[in-house]
Amino acid sequence: MFFVLPPPPHPSAPASVLLSRQLGLETEGAEIGRVGKAFALPLSRGLLSAILVRRLARFPRWGHRDAEAAERTLAQHAVPAGAARGQRRGVLQATRIFHTASPHLAPLPPLPEHGGKVRHGLIPEEFFEFMYPKTGVTGPYVLGTGLILYFLSKEIYVITADTFAAMSTLGLLIYIVKKYGASVAAFADKLREDQMAEAEALKQASIKNIQDAIDLEKKQQALVAKRHYLFDVQRNNIAMTLEVFYRERLHKVYTEVKNRLDYHIAKQNMMRRKEQEHMITWVESHVVKSISAQQEKETIAKCISDLKLLAKKAQAQSQSVL
Amino acid sequence: MNENLFAPFITPTIMGITTLPIIMIFPCIILSTPKRWLPNRIQTLQIWLIRQITKQMLSMHNTRGRTWALMLMSLILFIASTNLLGLLPYSFTPTTQLAMNIGMAIPLWLATVIMGFRNKPKVSLAHFLPQGTPTPLIPMLIIIETISLFIQPLALAVRLTANITAGHLLIHLIGSATLALSSISMTVSTITFTILFLLTILELAVAMIQAYVFTLLVSLYLHDNS
Repeated sequence: MFFVLPPPPHPSAPASVLLSRQLGLETEGAEIGRVGKAFALPLSRGLLSAILVRRLARFPRWGHRDAEAAERTLAQHAVPAGAARGQRRGVLQATRIFHTASPHLAPLPPLPEHGGKVRHGLIPEEFFEFMYPKTGVTGPYVLGTGLILYFLSKEIYVITADTFAAMSTLGLLIYIVKKYGASVAAFADKLREDQMAEAEALKQASIKNIQDAIDLEKKQQALVAKRHYLFDVQRNNIAMTLEVFYRERLHKVYTEVKNRLDYHIAKQNMMRRKEQEHMITWVESHVVKSISAQQEKETIAKCISDLKLLAKKAQAQSQSVL
Repeated sequence: MNENLFAPFITPTIMGITTLPIIMIFPCIILSTPKRWLPNRIQTLQIWLIRQITKQMLSMHNTRGRTWALMLMSLILFIASTNLLGLLPYSFTPTTQLAMNIGMAIPLWLATVIMGFRNKPKVSLAHFLPQGTPTPLIPMLIIIETISLFIQPLALAVRLTANITAGHLLIHLIGSATLALSSISMTVSTITFTILFLLTILELAVAMIQAYVFTLLVSLYLHDNS
C-alpha cells in the first residue's frame, strides 16, 4: 500500500499539479494536494502557469539531490491524508518518500575488534554453550568422539591413503599456524599501524602547517599594529638627515665666508708689512746716506772717550770695593 | 587399485553436470578484497603479499609489458591458490588437468608471440638466431629455435600438470604404502609416514614454486616480445 501510484491528474487539474509532475517529484497523493496548494498561491492558472510548465519541461529530470531537497521541503508540508481536501482516503498515505536516493555508504558501521570465540580452532563456543545445560561440559566431546567412532566402525568414513595424506597435511598446517601464527598476526598489525601512522602523520603535518600559518598571520597582524613605529623612525631619520645637510651647508658657507675675509685680511697685512718694510728701508737708506764722513769720525771719537770714562769709573768702583 | 589411484584426477560431477567452473571460481571466495580503508588481518597480509609479488615480477618490464600486470597477477594467484587448496585431503585440483593448463598456456604464449611480431617484427625474428653463431650452423639453428619456440606453450602446460599430478600421486602412493605397511610392520609404516610428511612439505613448496615459474616464464616471453 505504500507503493500505490497517485492517480494521474485530471487534465483540468491545477497547473501546479502538472508542474509538480513535470518536475518529477515522486509524491504520494496528499502531497500533491498540499504542494498544489503551495504552488497555487504564487502561480495562477492560465497563461502564466502554462508558460512556466512548458519552460520547465525543457529541464532534465532532477537528480536525487533535488529529490532529497524536495523531501525536506515536502516533509514540512506533510499532513495526514486528504486533510487539504477534507476527504478521507482508504489508503495509508505515507508522509515519507522512499528510495529516492542511493543509500548512504558512509559512515560504515564499525567492525568488531575480535572475531567470535572458537574452540579448537574449528567449533564456535556457542555450540558448547548450547549443549551445556543438557549435557554439561563433556557433552560436545562425547558427541564428537561418538560420531567419529560411528563413522569409522560403520565404514562411512573409510581409512584410505587419503587418511594418512590428510593427517600429514593437516598436521603440517596446524604446526605452521601454531608456530608462526602470532608473529604473522603481529606483522599484519604492524602493517596496519604503519598505514594508520602514515595517515596520522599526514593529518599532523597538515595541522602543523595550518598552525604555523595561523601563528605567522598573528605575528604579522601584531606587526601591522606596530607599523607606525616604522614610519616615526623613518621620519626621524629623514629629519636628522635634513638637519645634517643643513648644518653641512651652513658650515660650508661659514668656511667660504671666512676664506674670503681671511683673504682680505691677509692682503691687508701683507700690504701693511710691505709698506712698513719699504718705509724702514727707505728711512735707513736715507739715514745711512745722510751720515757724512766727518760725523762718523766725531761719533767714533766720542764713543772712544765715553768708553775711556766708563773704564775709569769701573776701575774706580772696583778699587773702592776692594 | 588403478581406478582408486587416479580417482582424484577425475573432474567431479554432480548428476552428470561438471562442477569444474565452481571449483575454479572457489579460490576467489577465499581471496577477499577489503571494503574499508583499514582491512582485517588476512586482507592486510593479502594486499601486502600481492604488492610484493607485483613489484618483484613487473620490475623488469617496460610500459607495454606492464599493461599485462593484471593478467600476470591473477595468473599467479589462481595457480598458487588452486595448487595449495589441492593439498587438502579429498580435494580436486584443476591444475592437474592438462586440458586446463594448455588452455592457460597457449593463449598467453601466443599472445606474447603475436604482440612481438606485430610491434617489433625484426626483433622477434632476430630471437631465432642467437648472437655469435658460426655461419654454417645458421639454418640448423633456426630450425631448432623454431621448434623450441613452439615447444614453449606445451612445456609450460606439461610442466605444471606433471609437477602437480606427480606430487599428488606420490602422496597417494606413499599414503597407501603407509596404510598397507601398518598391518605388516608398524615401524616401517612410521618411517613411511615420515617420508609422507616430508613429501607434504615439498608439495607445499612445489605448489607455490610452480605458480611462480609459470607466471615468470610467461612474463619472460612477454619481456622478449614487448
